[in-house]
Amino acid sequence: MGKLTHIVNWARIKSPWVLHFNTGACNACDIEIIAALTPRYDLERFGVQLKGTPRHADILLCSGPVTRQVECRLKMIYEQMPEPKFVVAVGTCACSGGVFDGCYNVKSGINAAIPVSAYIPGCPASPKAIIDGVVKLLQSLEAEEEKKEK
Amino acid sequence: MLKQLFILLVFPGFLFLLTSGLLAEFIDRRLYARLQNRQGPPWFQPLADFIKLLGKEDIVPQEADTTVFRLMPLVALSATVAAFFYIPLWGTEAMFSFNGDIIVVLYLLMLPTLCFFLGGWYSRSVFSSIGAVRVLTQLFAYEVPLFICILASSLLANTWSLSGMAAFYSKHPGYWLFNLIGFGIAFISLLGKLEKVPFDIPEAETEIVAGSFTEYSGRLLAFFRLTIDIELIVGTSLLAAVFLPFGFGVGPYIGFVIYILKVLLLVALVSLSRTIFARLRIDQMINLCWKYLAPLAFLQVLLNLIAKGVMVK
Ligand code: SF4
Repeated sequence: MGKLTHIVNWARIKSPWVLHFNTGACNACDIEIIAALTPRYDLERFGVQLKGTPRHADILLCSGPVTRQVECRLKMIYEQMPEPKFVVAVGTCACSGGVFDGCYNVKSGINAAIPVSAYIPGCPASPKAIIDGVVKLLQSLEAEEEKKEK
Repeated sequence: MLKQLFILLVFPGFLFLLTSGLLAEFIDRRLYARLQNRQGPPWFQPLADFIKLLGKEDIVPQEADTTVFRLMPLVALSATVAAFFYIPLWGTEAMFSFNGDIIVVLYLLMLPTLCFFLGGWYSRSVFSSIGAVRVLTQLFAYEVPLFICILASSLLANTWSLSGMAAFYSKHPGYWLFNLIGFGIAFISLLGKLEKVPFDIPEAETEIVAGSFTEYSGRLLAFFRLTIDIELIVGTSLLAAVFLPFGFGVGPYIGFVIYILKVLLLVALVSLSRTIFARLRIDQMINLCWKYLAPLAFLQVLLNLIAKGVMVK
């Protein structure tokens, strides 16, 4: 049993499929996410693939603060993803609300609506930072896995 | 009994198909990446994807028909695996064969496509319904030229079994050159069957999310993906057996190497076409198939009839 979960966890770490969702960003963070997925940075090296549907995705990449309008949709998309799932907040706005925090139409960072596993600050976060953040998330999963083993 | 079980499950049955299918996906993705001047995924990537999907939750949408939704991936997978047993690989004899098995193989290879349609249709989501309709529309376009081409080359061999065709073409070396037009058409149709670019219209992730697979997740999606990988192997093996029928009489070991080389060549051609073409629209694809491929396929039939009259006594 222990061996089997070990193999499944290995596969999980080696094959993160991401879904990109703009929760109200100014669009700069989205451009950087798309740039990170281009052949120049070649994220397929780590097994990362961009998926169009939440049903296929393991990691939800959110950019921007949660606006009141998008909140229920964000929750819906989160619930449509099969377990186990992780959320990564990309950009300062997604981490804390950033410059939009306190606006009448904005709720604050992503963690105001759904649980977040990793935060990538930056306005906008550069592709290198995004890749670094995703790799760090995967490494922390690996470390957790090792702790469980002991 | 034990031997048959071994044939079914291990070699050249399910386990062989599983590994070769995953390897083919890796070669396809790696080559695609190298052609785009990037490094590409590591060798274990398709395996990791497969295991990860097996370990995930599978959600059945509330609206969907649970039985059909759950059954379709398994039916698709078993039909594809079953088709493999009738194809001669490195000898002129397939594992099982009888007169008329061409029809069975073509029929079994059509089943996965039908399963993609049914699975997508019964998911009852907008994207998967559009994808499902496109799957079926595309099926009617590429299937006819493919059938005609394969039947044309069986016409020359005067037999209805794939093993018989392999035996005929290895007895008459050089005759496969008559089928070159058919080979091209069958290859283009195979791209349609495998839903690879330029015919990935049913999956078109930039238009309709993931087509008929939109609602599939976890284990069910893993089986669908595996079906497509195995279909790649079975389809290329079929093309290799019908249109590249040489190297059958050289013993199992060299024959096996030649078989692998033929399949590798075809897989490489698939990834090459994936790199250099962009997706067609569904109407363009149907135009291509009915206006150009189908008449060319009939030309192939005519050619083979003449060749048969002149050369084979
Ligand atoms: S962090 Fe900066 S770039 Fe990103 S969405 Fe907010 S304001 Fe725009």
